[in-house]
Amino acid sequence: MLSLRSVTKRYGALTALDGVSLDIAHGEFFGLLGPNGAGKSTLMSLAAGLRAPDAGALTLDSVVITPADPAARSALGLVPQSIALFQELSAEQNLHTFGRLYGLRGAVLRERIDEALTAVGLADRRHDPVKNYSGGMQRRLNLIAALLHRPKLLLCDEPTVGVDPQSRNAIFDFLEQRNREGLTIIYSTHYMEEATRLCSRIGIIDHGKIHALGTLDELLTRLPFDEEIVFPATPVTAPLAAELGAHGALTTLEGRHHFQAATGFKLSAFYARTEAHGLSPQLFTAARPSLEAVFLHLTGRNLRE
Amino acid sequence: MAIILTLVRKDIATFLRNRAAVVVTFLVPIVLIYIFGWVFGLNQKDTGPTDIRLAIVNASTNPAAQKLVDALKADPAFHVITTTDNPDKIKRPLTEEDLRPQIRDGWYRFAVVIPADVVSTDRIGLHLKILSDPRNDIEAQTVNGLLQKTIFSNVPELLGQSLQARAKQFLGDSRFNKFNHSIADTVATAFGGDPAKIQRTIESGSFGLDRITPPAKPADPSLRRLDNGAPAPATTPNPATPAAKPAPATAQDFFSRLVKIDSEQIVGKSVKSPAATRMVGGWAIMFLLFAVSGGAAAFFDEANTGVFQRILSAPVSRAQLLWSRFLYGVLLGLFQLMIIFVVGQMMYGIDVFGHLGNLIAVSVAAASACSAFGMLIAALAPNATAASGLSTLVVMVMSATGGAWFPMSFMPEFMQTIGKFTLVYWSMEGFLQVLWAERTFVELLPILGILTGITLVVMTVAIWRLKKKQIFA
Ligand SMILES: Nc1ncnc2c1ncn2[C@@H]1O[C@H](COP(=O)(O)OP(=O)(O)OP(=O)(O)O)[C@@H](O)[C@H]1O
Ligand SMILES: [Mg+2]
Repeated sequence: MLSLRSVTKRYGALTALDGVSLDIAHGEFFGLLGPNGAGKSTLMSLAAGLRAPDAGALTLDSVVITPADPAARSALGLVPQSIALFQELSAEQNLHTFGRLYGLRGAVLRERIDEALTAVGLADRRHDPVKNYSGGMQRRLNLIAALLHRPKLLLCDEPTVGVDPQSRNAIFDFLEQRNREGLTIIYSTHYMEEATRLCSRIGIIDHGKIHALGTLDELLTRLPFDEEIVFPATPVTAPLAAELGAHGALTTLEGRHHFQAATGFKLSAFYARTEAHGLSPQLFTAARPSLEAVFLHLTGRNLRE
Repeated sequence: MAIILTLVRKDIATFLRNRAAVVVTFLVPIVLIYIFGWVFGLNQKDTGPTDIRLAIVNASTNPAAQKLVDALKADPAFHVITTTDNPDKIKRPLTEEDLRPQIRDGWYRFAVVIPADVVSTDRIGLHLKILSDPRNDIEAQTVNGLLQKTIFSNVPELLGQSLQARAKQFLGDSRFNKFNHSIADTVATAFGGDPAKIQRTIESGSFGLDRITPPAKPADPSLRRLDNGAPAPATTPNPATPAAKPAPATAQDFFSRLVKIDSEQIVGKSVKSPAATRMVGGWAIMFLLFAVSGGAAAFFDEANTGVFQRILSAPVSRAQLLWSRFLYGVLLGLFQLMIIFVVGQMMYGIDVFGHLGNLIAVSVAAASACSAFGMLIAALAPNATAASGLSTLVVMVMSATGGAWFPMSFMPEFMQTIGKFTLVYWSMEGFLQVLWAERTFVELLPILGILTGITLVVMTVAIWRLKKKQIFA
């Protein structure tokens, strides 16, 4: 459906996207996972036809997307990273304006507005100016404003920033429902949990390059270990941590050691050592490696730094 | 076009929701126009200041001096004070020595002293002393003007006596006598009458002026102060104005002519309130610029919040987005101008509805130029704060040099030249041509053309800069 061919975008000397190639299939829920400044929004804005690439091309169902061709954009919807709403106007006025920009009129438009407001629980606040909404309500409105015209492809750029868990779940449910109905979604985030929960396929992006691409399981198998052991980073465990360095990869995140055994280093050998140091087995959890670990492995960076 | 109209509609809805913007756009200029109109005496219902406290000391025994005092007493503009309280609460006439301390103490701010030598031999004109503590220049000029007018229109013989006294000193007694005698003879020969009686009349200095009705109050109450240097004089030099008509017969005399100069210039013209026209036009164009450059700041808000991104991710082109902003500015400006002019009609009797078609034409052209200016500000400024700073500065300078505040002729030559490059000048010119010179549509075409030219040039530069700016994504 959407396809990027060696797309490069520069801002002056800075290369925000560096030869990105990517194919998004119909009906996919694609996650674009990357830290701040990775190039997620840049990719979104190119896909939305807001900017032209410096090299390469983007096509939507084989129609080239460029700022010069507004008509090509009617099949897609963009949820900008910021709250892109008219703050002085009511939810209804906002939706009315955006709907009309896509050529919706009259009864159809009114129906869609009702439907959308109801779906995200804003129907009773429809006449209030947006500036009086809570952050979570604004986010929900920001989302549905991109869907009135029933696009084929929805570009969601970090749509849950600053939203409490409850609203966030409402947004997730809403998007999953739309995806089941056939909407193709590209969802950018730097939250591992979001990508894990929502996305059928994930691209890991950093410094303008896609470092890994695949389903969650595919990405996890890229890790050179199948067992990760997590334990607290305390003075008591320090001697063990010092030894483990020789038998695999040890990283420390948020007060915890994450140990990935090198091939050949057996779990039994690991526990033998813990006993030798007099450490209780309860301290250790064997966890499934996370996307975060994949990211760390691929980029050497913590996602949320 | 549907897209542009949708965007314009959105802009209007946003504007109407912003009460502060509505107040600044419509109410503030109207209030200011009212206040300034009042200050400059343009308000029709208001006949100018009343009951200005004025102390008078009359040390002259000349009966004409007493006439002057009476005339000032009769003038509603003044509340005349001629007596003061002694410490023992007994009233006595004011003396010149009382005036200074009492002015200092704020009992009154103006005083007139008519000295014993009100008519003297060593100069032409009257010898009057005016003491004042004017709170501002305009007030001082106003009071001076009112005094002069009262003197001119009520006691011409004082001035006549003054001329006679001067002539007498200059010519010497006998020659002066001979001079008056021969004039009296000539008058008697030509028109009949008793030469001796005529000579006595001449010597009294009245020249028969007392029989001429004092000049009528000028038709427009504003004139009585406008002719004394209020900052917004009634008239601009204008080739379309017919030369001042010869004064009517009753105004043949020199003094009433002096007073009537301004009113003669508008004789035969239907314009009731040219000064108001200028003032209303000036304020209107300045506030239009402010309103439109407020729009420039809104432009940045939309760009920063990502609203532009959302709009442009719809099937909307950049050009449509920009032109919608421009069109919105034009509509807002047009609406604002019309409201201000209609208020001008209600307050000052400017004939708006009589010139509605041409006024709308000029207003559309002026609003277009202003809207383009707003776009240029948005294009040149790096952010909203800079935009409002820059626009305030430029609007002030353009309004000052372009003649929105006071007529261009008040300014030095080079400033006038600069002024002609401003859209304010051409907009003002347009308003005055319609409302004051009452030009036809065809005669207005050059000005409409210039304003349209300004619009096109400014818009071209603005769009070129905006496209370079990456404000869109
Ligand atoms: N308009 C711009 N002008 C110059 N540089 C820009 C511009 N927009 C983005 N960049 C730079 O391009 C790089 C990628 O930015 P981008 O906004 O695409 O990152 P992102 O992944 O969306 O980050 P975030 O998670 O913070 O939103 C960053 O280094 C950023 O500073
Ligand atoms: Mg971003």
